[in-house]
Amino acid sequence: MATELVKTEDFRTDDLRTDEMIINMGPQHPATHGVLRLILTLDGEKVKHVEPILGHLHRAQEWQGQNRTWFQYQALIDRVDYLSGMFTSWAMARSCEQLDGITVPPRAEYLRVMVAEMNRISSHLLWLGTYLIDLGAMFGFPFYPFREREKLLDLFEEISGQRMMFNYIRIGGVHRDPKAEWFQKVRKFTEEFPQRVDEYEAIVTENPIFLKRTKGVGILKQSVAKDYGVTGPCIRCSGIPLDLRRTKPYSVYPELKFDVITYDKEGDTWDRYMARILEMRQSNEIIKQCLDMIPAGEIMGKKQMAGMRIKAGEGFAAVESPRGIIGCYVTSTGGEKPFRFRWRNPSFCNLSVLSELLVGSPIADIMAIFGSIDVILPDVDR
Amino acid sequence: MSTEAKPPAQPEAPLEPGKFGQFLKEHGISTNRLPDSCGVETITISADDLHQALKLLRSSQETKLDLLITVSGVDNNDTIDAVYHLWSYYNNDELVLKVMTPKASIPEGKLPEVPSISNFWSAANWHERETYDLAGVRFTGHPYPRRILNPWDWEGHPLRRDYKQPADDLNSKHKVSFR
Repeated sequence: MATELVKTEDFRTDDLRTDEMIINMGPQHPATHGVLRLILTLDGEKVKHVEPILGHLHRAQEWQGQNRTWFQYQALIDRVDYLSGMFTSWAMARSCEQLDGITVPPRAEYLRVMVAEMNRISSHLLWLGTYLIDLGAMFGFPFYPFREREKLLDLFEEISGQRMMFNYIRIGGVHRDPKAEWFQKVRKFTEEFPQRVDEYEAIVTENPIFLKRTKGVGILKQSVAKDYGVTGPCIRCSGIPLDLRRTKPYSVYPELKFDVITYDKEGDTWDRYMARILEMRQSNEIIKQCLDMIPAGEIMGKKQMAGMRIKAGEGFAAVESPRGIIGCYVTSTGGEKPFRFRWRNPSFCNLSVLSELLVGSPIADIMAIFGSIDVILPDVDR
Repeated sequence: MSTEAKPPAQPEAPLEPGKFGQFLKEHGISTNRLPDSCGVETITISADDLHQALKLLRSSQETKLDLLITVSGVDNNDTIDAVYHLWSYYNNDELVLKVMTPKASIPEGKLPEVPSISNFWSAANWHERETYDLAGVRFTGHPYPRRILNPWDWEGHPLRRDYKQPADDLNSKHKVSFR
C-alpha cells in the first residue's frame, strides 16, 4: 500500500511547542569582519533580540596613549582601523597640530587629501568585495575589486613603505615626498578607475538576487540614527547631509569640488551600497583635482624628533573616514607623554544601532544589514 | 615631575559665560566656564543638573546639539571627570561639558557617580559602559551596567593613574622559565 503524502493543512499544530532559541553568532565567523560575538534570541527564523559582545580585539589603545611618547604613539594608531589607517593618523595629527599651533604646509595638505581619498577608495573596494561574499556570492567577485585595490596598495607601498599600516601622516605634515613617477601612476589609475566601477556596477546594481536581498531591508529611520549618533554614509542615506568635508571643512577641501552623496529619505541597505559606489567615483574626482593643483614646497611643518612634545591644553579634532566621523580628544600637560587620548570611532557608534535594526528580521538579513553598516571590529574595540 | 610644564594656571576671576553657558543660565542651571579647548566652549556642570541641561541643549530651538560625539572618562590627578562632547547635525555648534568629581569626595573603594543619560539618549549607552569599564565612573540608572571592552569579571579600571596591571607570565618574576 503506497503511503499518501500528508497535506500541509492536515498537520496537527495544537500540540506543537514553540520556544525561543538563543544562538551564538560566535566570535569566529567569516562574515563579521573581525571578532564580534552576537547573542541572538530567535523565534523560528526571526530575530527577537540581539546583544553584541565586544572586547575580543581590545588592545588597550587608550592605555597606550597614556604610556607611550608622542612619537611612538603615532605608529600605533594606524592599526585601530586598518582599512583606513590614513584617517586615524590624520585625526591624531589634526588634534595635536591644533594644540601646538603647527601650520601644515600646503603641499603636505594636498598629499594628505590625495592619500586619504585613495584610502577611502581602497576601503570601499574591500567593503564591496566582502559584502558580496557575505551575501553568498562566492563565485570570485571579490577578485574584481581587489584588482584595483592591489594597484592602490602598490602606490601606498611606494609612498610610505607599507601596504596597510602606513604611518605616513605625521604630526606636522607627511613623512615622505613621492617622486614624480608616482604622480603619473596615480593619474593613470584615476583615468582607468571609472570604467572599472562601471564593471562592478554591471554585475551588482541591477542584479535581481542582490535587489531582493537588499531592497527594503534594514531601513534606518532618521530619528533612530540621530539618537544613536550614527555618522558616515549610514546617516547620509537617512536624510541628513552630514559630511565633515563639507560642513566643517578642514585641510584643502574648501578648494575642491565634489558632491556629498546624500539621499533625502529613510535609507535601506541598497541605498547604502549605492552611496558607497558613488563616493568612490567622487573620491576619484577629488584625486584628479589634487593632482592638478598640488604646489611644490615642504612637506613637514615642524621637524619630528623622538622626544617631541605638544604644548599643554586639550582639544578635539575629527575627520571624515569611510565609516563616519573619527575623532580624537587629546589632553596634554606638555610632558613627554600624552595625558589622555580618547578616540571616538565611527564603527563603535554605528554598531550600537544594530540592536534596533535587526529586531524582526530573518537570519538571512543579519549579514545584509550588518555588512551595509560597514563595521571594522578593531575600530570598535581599539 | 619637574620636567613637565604646568598646565595654564587658573584665571583669577571666573570667565564670562559663553553662548551655551548663558543659555543654561537663563533656564536656571548654573555652570562654570573653563578655558576654551581649542576654540570650543568648555563648561562644567554639577551631576544633578546634567539631565535637565542635556535635554534642553538637545531639543531647544536655539541650541540644537543633537549629535553626542562621545562620553569620556578622564583621570585628572585630583578629579575624575566625565566629559561630554556635543555637536549638532544641522549647524556648526560644538560644546564640551564636564562633570568633575573631586577624588577627595569619593569614599574609599567606591566610584564617582554620575546620572546616566542613556534612557533618553541611546548613543550614550555604550559610551557610558566603556567609561565605567576603563575609567571607573559609575553611571546610575544605566539599563545594562556591565563592562564592554574588558571581560565582565575584570578587576580595576585601566585608565586610572593608579592602575596596576595584573600579574601574568609577561610581567611576573618566575624563577623557572621555559627558556
